[in-house]
Amino acid sequence: MIGLMKSMATTMKHALDGKTFTVKYPEEAPDVSPRFRGVHKFSQERCIWCRQCENVCPNDTIQIVQDDQRNGEQYNLHIGQCIYCRLCEEVCPVDAILLTQNFEFTADTKDEFVYNKEQLKNVPWYKGIDPLESRNPDRSAWIGEGDGEIDYQ
Amino acid sequence: MSLEPLDSPDADVIPERTPEELEALLGDLVLARDDHLNAPGFVIRPDTVQETLSILKEQAGYDHLSLVTAQEYENRYESIYHLKKFDDPTQEVSVVVPADKDQPVSESGEAVFRTADWHEREAYDLVGIEYDDHPDLRRILLPQTWQGHPLSLDYDMNQPQIAALPAHVNPIQDHHRDDESDTMFLNIGPHHPATHGVLHLKTVLDGEQVVDIESDIGYLHRCEEQMAQSGTYRHQIMPYPDRWDYISAGLLNEWAYARAAEDLADIEVPEYAQVIRTMGAEMCRIAAHMLALATFALDVNGDFTATFMYAINDRERVQNLLEDLTGQRLMFNYFRLGGVVWDLPEPREEFFSKTRDFLDQLPGNIEEYHNLVTSNEIFQMRTIDTGILPPEVAKNYGATGPVLRGSGVDYDLRRDDPYGYYDELDWDVITEDGCDNYSRLLVRMQEVEESAKIIGQCVDLLEDWPEDERTIQANVPRTLRPDDDNEIYRAVEAAKGELGIYIRSDGTDKPARFKIRSPCFSNLQTLPEMANGEYIPDVIAALGSLDIVLGEVDR
Amino acid sequence: MADAPAQLFPEFIVDTFGLPGVLGEVVAALIAAFVVGNIVLAFTGVAGPWAKRKITAAFTDRIAVSRIGPFGLLIIPAAAVQLLAKELIVPEGVDRPTWDLAPIILPASALLGFAVIPMGQLGPVNLHLADPEVGLALVFAFASIASVSLVMAGYGSNNKYSMLGGLRAVAQNLAYEIPLIVTAMSVVIFAGTLEMSGIVAAQSETLFSVGGFDIPAWYALVNPFAFVLFLTANMAEIGRNPFDIPEAPTEIVAGYQTEYSSSYFVLFYLGEFVHIFLGGAILAVTFLGGAAGPGPESISFLWFVVKIWGFFLFTQWCRSALPRVRIDQLIEIGWKGMLVLSFANLVLTAVIVGGIA
Repeated sequence: MIGLMKSMATTMKHALDGKTFTVKYPEEAPDVSPRFRGVHKFSQERCIWCRQCENVCPNDTIQIVQDDQRNGEQYNLHIGQCIYCRLCEEVCPVDAILLTQNFEFTADTKDEFVYNKEQLKNVPWYKGIDPLESRNPDRSAWIGEGDGEIDYQ
Repeated sequence: MSLEPLDSPDADVIPERTPEELEALLGDLVLARDDHLNAPGFVIRPDTVQETLSILKEQAGYDHLSLVTAQEYENRYESIYHLKKFDDPTQEVSVVVPADKDQPVSESGEAVFRTADWHEREAYDLVGIEYDDHPDLRRILLPQTWQGHPLSLDYDMNQPQIAALPAHVNPIQDHHRDDESDTMFLNIGPHHPATHGVLHLKTVLDGEQVVDIESDIGYLHRCEEQMAQSGTYRHQIMPYPDRWDYISAGLLNEWAYARAAEDLADIEVPEYAQVIRTMGAEMCRIAAHMLALATFALDVNGDFTATFMYAINDRERVQNLLEDLTGQRLMFNYFRLGGVVWDLPEPREEFFSKTRDFLDQLPGNIEEYHNLVTSNEIFQMRTIDTGILPPEVAKNYGATGPVLRGSGVDYDLRRDDPYGYYDELDWDVITEDGCDNYSRLLVRMQEVEESAKIIGQCVDLLEDWPEDERTIQANVPRTLRPDDDNEIYRAVEAAKGELGIYIRSDGTDKPARFKIRSPCFSNLQTLPEMANGEYIPDVIAALGSLDIVLGEVDR
Repeated sequence: MADAPAQLFPEFIVDTFGLPGVLGEVVAALIAAFVVGNIVLAFTGVAGPWAKRKITAAFTDRIAVSRIGPFGLLIIPAAAVQLLAKELIVPEGVDRPTWDLAPIILPASALLGFAVIPMGQLGPVNLHLADPEVGLALVFAFASIASVSLVMAGYGSNNKYSMLGGLRAVAQNLAYEIPLIVTAMSVVIFAGTLEMSGIVAAQSETLFSVGGFDIPAWYALVNPFAFVLFLTANMAEIGRNPFDIPEAPTEIVAGYQTEYSSSYFVLFYLGEFVHIFLGGAILAVTFLGGAAGPGPESISFLWFVVKIWGFFLFTQWCRSALPRVRIDQLIEIGWKGMLVLSFANLVLTAVIVGGIA
């Protein structure tokens, strides 16, 4: 009996303390950590079309089309198929592709999840966080020196 | 590390034999030696499997059949029985059984090790080796109507798998009423609130008591082994272990792959990375055990109860920490061969204090679970002395992890076959002697406390780590090509038990054979032992106490 | 409480509106039944889609329904529309009309029980439909019809889980109805009557006074042992945790109601909630002084509401914390524990009451 009482007392304590741990999403979105991996952002200005991201991608999510001069024509990424492993960002030598914190995306059909380079460029920063800042705190030491602002827009 | 067996803490039980002594013991049975990186390997004739295995089990003390790997070469088929000792898992031996290319038949080891039953069925299903004397050689992961064996070399992936409807087993078709029997056949699952995924239990009931129960698995088979075989060692395999046991045990799974591949390619991991790995892995273990507790309470309480939500809440807190560390809440992809991808998040102090806050809160919360669950008389009534799994039976089935430790067997790879930073830290292996559902729950709850202890020590270590020695990754070539025909089997202690990886390299940057030893697969096999003769509610409780993840069972 | 029992609700309607003859009485009875029935249904309407969610959420540290209307209250009409608009799926091979009747019988049996429950006064109206001399026996009889409905649902659904649920329901009701009624008999021995108003009146006496504050002779205070027994048996009778064996989600999916959907499901859900409230009402009448409470007599209905909602809260509290017992353990507790204790209680009560007399 004492065990039963203890159980019931425990739940009652939780009921009366009035605390809740769920939040009213979307009015109150939980914080994501700076390292969180969401939808990609792509910068054609930075990309050197080395195709390393396409090669490393474990499940062929990235498709790159080049002309016969090896100039980039298309950069397509199926964000519905992506497993958000961040390997593309990791191998990219110029930070042309990176994963924002943005996890809020919807579409009516699977096909709409295939983003081309324009759509990838227009993916908004989530709450204005620049993820590279936290992932590579000392990146200014090895990238972008003298380049000024990194422009993804 | 890979070639020399490590010193074991309690190797005094059965003296270790050198490979030569073993060869002498087996005598004429041995045709040749085919050593693996982790263990000596003996090639035997396909009709002497039982004899060899029973000699090794009875006389040399190799009582743990960890895994059966099957694969096809250009000129032969091969089954490998990876044997270990529960007393000292660093003592390993592989029994290699080649089978004829045209007619791959091999003797079954089921009579010696019960666990070989499912493993050999899987080998038959995916590779196509037939096992003589096997009690029930059917497909296990794929539908019975499947054509061909997907991991055999000549398998045509584009061949359509069309089976007419009548060819499928209809579970109610031969349902018949006769005057003799008064049992009832009941399908529990694949869609049932308590099967923790898509598991199908074919049960025969006498009243409410279970007479016979058979698990039908494979609904969540995602060709994980095949996917790993088509990925490169360096990068492309690592994201997938997260998806085997997807109950946030990701880092533990990643470690299984990392350990095998690092030993295969002879990569030394920096100590600093080992500490981070250890800390992250234990956080995952807490998250996984919290969910085990939550769902077990759900299975026994039966409704969306408070315990479930409280445990999920605690799990959220660990996941927040893991998100800060790895950037993801479930599918971490945090380990890399030779280390981890990131150092601790900046500012480090904030991460440390968050972690410490969590650790400080944990004892109070665990106390609450004890109040809520384990000290509850009705809960005790329901779980004590139900779902009994005697230690000998558990060993015979190759059960590992909390299931085995709940049966009183002191076996934990973190201590017995140390990896990472575990042997430098102060913690205990938890065992309970009850062998019942209650013991298994207690083991998990105490393991959470042990994990917290480990995390606490890791945090202290990391905090004091000299700044210029914080190497997170070893120097690993961009493309890994391990030597041709190296074979290795390595296991780690995942949340559910012994998670092992067998890799055979063929000189390319992708493994030629990648085999996963899933702890849930072996643990689930024990269900009939626990369930027969019990009531339906106890079957559900026993299933909950096994804490299986179908993603890992079916891979 | 007044010495003369207040006028029953149908009689009040006859007098107020001057309805003549037998026909007038029938019309008055129908009106009264309609009013009382709707009060009860309103309770369940609030309890099912809204209160239960809110209560569960409080126990589990969540927010729950909060978006539609103030405190999410408009979820009630929304849920009603949603549930009724769903397709009614009739599985192959169900045994009609058994399958169709079962969801009607369950709420009907529970609602019938309220015919004899004295629900207290609201202004000049005494919410009490009928006061037969065998009131207490009648209310148990009505409530027990529910198990027939569960068996019908279990048998008619052509589903093994439903069948198991139905059989469990019978086993459970048999095992707990007897202790329930035997314990209620001890109240009858105290009160000396089966009449509901008589039992309530008997509890209005003063047990003792503390500092000028009269503690009434509620049987829960007079015989707390019987109260606990009755409470436990009552929980089993209405099939709430830890005795929700006939439904047992996670074991037998949803028991007897596995195959029901849409409006039939709503009827079952409704029936279960009415049953909880009937259980609370019986408890209130037999052990908690009926509608009695401080304040003027004319608001005693509110006290009654407080009591049955209190019981509802209690069932939800148990649900949050207590695991379900196994079917064989349940039967064992019922026959070997509760039955023996309830008979001991009965004999003891009889001896004590007889001794005092």
